[in-house]
Amino acid sequence: MTQHVDDEVLVTTPDPSTDPTPVDERSAPTPRTAGSIVAGFAALAVGVSVVGGDLLNPAASTTDGDYAGETVEMMIPLAEGGGTDTWARFVAAELTEKVPGSPGLAPVNDDGGEGILGTNNFMTSARSDGTEVLVSTASTVVPYLLDMPAVRYDFNELRPILANGTGAVVYARTGAGVKGVKDLVDRDEPLVFGGIAATSLDLTTMLAFDLLDADVTSTFGFEGRGPVNLALQRGEVDIDYQTTSSYGPAVEPLVKDGTAVPLFSLGQVDEDGEIVRDPNFPRLPTVVEVYEQVYGEQPDAEALETYRAILALTYTYQKALWVPEDTPDEAVELLRSTAEEMGQDPAFQKSAEEVLGGYPLDASPDLAERIGDAYRVDDDVREDVLELLETDYDITID
Amino acid sequence: MTDAAFSALASLADPSLLIMLVVGVLAGLVIGLIPGLGGTGAVAILLPVTFGMDPEPALAMLIGALAVVHTSDTVAAVLLGAPGSASASVTMLDGYSMARRGQAKRALSLAFLSSMAGGLIGAVGLTLAIPLARPLVLSFGSPELFMLTILGVSLAAVLSRGNVVKGLTAGFLGLLLGLVGSSPTTAEERFSFGSLFLSDGVSLVAVALGVFGLAEIASRVGQRKVTEEPVTLTGGWASGIREWLTHWTQVVRGALIGIWAGVLPGVGATAGTWLAYGQAVATAKDKRKFGKGDPRGIVGPESANNSVEAGDLIPTFLFGIPGGVPSAMLLGMLLTYGIQPGPSIVSEHLDLMYLIIWAFAIASVAGAFLCFLATGSLARLTKVPFAVLGPGLLVVMLLGAFQEGGQLGDLWVMVALGVVGFFLKATGMPRAPFLIGFVLAIPMERYYYLTTNLYDGAGWMTRPGVLAFAAVLVLPVLWSLLRKARTATGRADDGHRDEHPVEERAEVDLEGSMAGTPWSLGVAAVAAAVFAGALWMSGSFSEEAALMPRLVAVGGLVTAGLLLWQELRPRFQPQADPEPTVHDEAPSGGSTLVATRVEQRTVAQEARAAVRNRDLAIGARTFAAMATFLVLVMVGGYLAATLVFTPVFLLYVARTRPRTAVVHTLVLGLVLLSLPSLLPVELPLGALQ
Repeated sequence: MTQHVDDEVLVTTPDPSTDPTPVDERSAPTPRTAGSIVAGFAALAVGVSVVGGDLLNPAASTTDGDYAGETVEMMIPLAEGGGTDTWARFVAAELTEKVPGSPGLAPVNDDGGEGILGTNNFMTSARSDGTEVLVSTASTVVPYLLDMPAVRYDFNELRPILANGTGAVVYARTGAGVKGVKDLVDRDEPLVFGGIAATSLDLTTMLAFDLLDADVTSTFGFEGRGPVNLALQRGEVDIDYQTTSSYGPAVEPLVKDGTAVPLFSLGQVDEDGEIVRDPNFPRLPTVVEVYEQVYGEQPDAEALETYRAILALTYTYQKALWVPEDTPDEAVELLRSTAEEMGQDPAFQKSAEEVLGGYPLDASPDLAERIGDAYRVDDDVREDVLELLETDYDITID
Repeated sequence: MTDAAFSALASLADPSLLIMLVVGVLAGLVIGLIPGLGGTGAVAILLPVTFGMDPEPALAMLIGALAVVHTSDTVAAVLLGAPGSASASVTMLDGYSMARRGQAKRALSLAFLSSMAGGLIGAVGLTLAIPLARPLVLSFGSPELFMLTILGVSLAAVLSRGNVVKGLTAGFLGLLLGLVGSSPTTAEERFSFGSLFLSDGVSLVAVALGVFGLAEIASRVGQRKVTEEPVTLTGGWASGIREWLTHWTQVVRGALIGIWAGVLPGVGATAGTWLAYGQAVATAKDKRKFGKGDPRGIVGPESANNSVEAGDLIPTFLFGIPGGVPSAMLLGMLLTYGIQPGPSIVSEHLDLMYLIIWAFAIASVAGAFLCFLATGSLARLTKVPFAVLGPGLLVVMLLGAFQEGGQLGDLWVMVALGVVGFFLKATGMPRAPFLIGFVLAIPMERYYYLTTNLYDGAGWMTRPGVLAFAAVLVLPVLWSLLRKARTATGRADDGHRDEHPVEERAEVDLEGSMAGTPWSLGVAAVAAAVFAGALWMSGSFSEEAALMPRLVAVGGLVTAGLLLWQELRPRFQPQADPEPTVHDEAPSGGSTLVATRVEQRTVAQEARAAVRNRDLAIGARTFAAMATFLVLVMVGGYLAATLVFTPVFLLYVARTRPRTAVVHTLVLGLVLLSLPSLLPVELPLGALQ
């Protein structure tokens, strides 16, 4: 058996196209042959790039209430894997299946500049025929909020299709002497908060600490929330927050064995713009309640407004799908109403339970209005945040 | 426990599940062959397919692909010298040397068999490590992870072929390149020169394929004939297995190190393969052949890089902390089925855990077996001259690099790094530490920063884990110094020094051919200038962001200074000693080919200078051709550029027959045309499209 194979390998005749039969040095080909070959391929190349492009990408017809034969391209401005990528791929796959005509779905991950580059690209080059969709998430929203120089997109010039929120819970290590919310203030030694970067989703938690005037120092530079959770278990940090989807697996076991104690949830912004308890953590107080508990009065109205605005932006409307502003109304409406129906479908609700993290898929007709309100951040709020970053964290955005 | 294990195995006997596993394995093998796509590509192509499936078949498919990607990515590293990942660069050290000496089949057999064993041991380790994982992960704090990154870079620097000063300089250069982009601690941009593109840092695939792959094309495209020894096909599979069996201890040790390293989130996978290589070198009695085709340099790391994948699944499932993009996507898939990662996964989804373990084991064996069957035909690839392979390789590698970020800029960076790699290679600077430094730069900075911020003073240095790593780092150095002091005459088995003429013949190779010439002096000077420039630029960063660049720049300046001194000393005292400095002589190069008579020496020198000039001219021409190709891409898109570039290159540079050129171009064009519909691959668009 073995011998046979070896023989075979040895006697195989060389493949003419890959083996140049290394004879003597071949001289340059005659200009005529070479010229004709190259010219032939050049013509083919021109043909491919000019004609082929049009043939492969015919104009889309999405205004006829039917997406048959189209492909929806979804720009995910983050790397493959991770919460937002999973969310987007799942939701978009379900959505395109339900849209009349069942268009194909092509997710594109462009993870430049922590999401900024991909979103910039979408803003400048997306087709506005309803076949290109953008995914937004906290890492593109916070730079937008802070008006960072690299940001060249504006959510006011995009139209939302659907949105989905999330929540978060702040918890602390009991080993650091924390038993309840009162231990957040008047401490001998400040609590160490582990963060990724001040200009990330951590911002909302930092604002909560600021609102409560909690005695906390921050160390940024962690790779993600998972590593912070481990660092807390090792005793390297004292206080941390986890979003709803990771609270169960990462924090609950610690609460059970007494190494950690949940303090408060960041809350949700309801339809009237009030901060209410997180439906997934009905027994945990919100930041506002904690303030009342600790100080016996309502927090300062202006500071509360800043917190509320940022909370709505970074949590309640955290993830959303968008299309360019000039997309025809028919196409937008078709996508939105399909999403709305899908969001109310019990079968979808069940299969999407984990991905949506216990928060409804929001695609009601007034979504554009509410999300618009949330994304139109007042200059006062922006200045408050910038001031906090500068005074407490020594970070200036120029 | 055992019940669950066997019921999981029984469920794998279900034909539909088995088919999914096979599909996964085949997809993983094919994608692994294309340098640059790797595990991310494999999972990205399969993930959409899994939507709508039950969790079991979906998992079987994805795990099947993940388990074998590192089996087949060895092929490009060993045969073409183009590693698509940081871990494949380790196998390349010895594997590529072996292949270039006509033993490609032997190298591949060893690698595949080791992959198989690594995967199997990894699967067993996965089972056993579950109860140990939590204490293990929790005992590794920031200080230990920081030491691990240091260890990874130092091992690469010390163990690569070439002298230590050169290795360290290359390592520092890599660290510096890794620091380009946002700082992990302050989100401040460093060395990005105001470019948003650079603020992301340089893409890993671009670095790996540029420094190794493109440099390889440029240095070998000059050979129109196959100058290697003919591929020896002695011995069948049986002899391959027999030889491999003699190294079984290396295989086991490599696999264990791989599991252990994979469990540590973040830094494990890269450092792990180097630790496996390091222990192979450290425990070998005769170390001279490492880096030149020692089988032990292949089996250990190769078995480790497959078991790392298994180890990596542990933090992914138990803590929800994936070690890389592929496992992150796997995690996302589990989430869509409502399976939450966390310690409870073991109790709630034990059957799935066992399914994963079995799928991993079966896929490792099947994948490696398929590759092993194909070694003969794969090895014949080395018979094709590089000049003919060149355009196809270039097109595939650039396409692979484009996939990571979808940026044309990455391709320009890759070509620029190709030039860097060419000179590093020519002057005998090891490139592996460069790559490892690049990969570990940010983790190193992150954990150093966290360590100094979360621990008071220098107390962390006395933690047992830190001390153990420090010992691993320092003891070998002390030991070799001690031994050197004792036996001043020096028996020759202590390192990679080439005092014995191990090489049977002067290799017709660029590697080190410019060592000891003005060119290597130039490279040392440029390196010193780069470090000085970095030091100067880091003055404008904030205190926190400047810490690491400053350390790297100062360290780099010291080693580059030493290197300059090494380069300059023989020039001032040419006849002083025929066995100068710490020079690690690369085979053909160097000033110390024993030539006693001056005339002979000058003749030899002139011949070498002629070869050198020819190499340089070919390299310059090839890089110019690559740049032209990129310009064509920017104008007319990838497919059109390939159609124009390939025939011109084949006709004028490779001097093939017109028919070959036509066939090649057509095949390549068809592949490019069909690729986007088969794989998750995007072709760069040009301005005219």
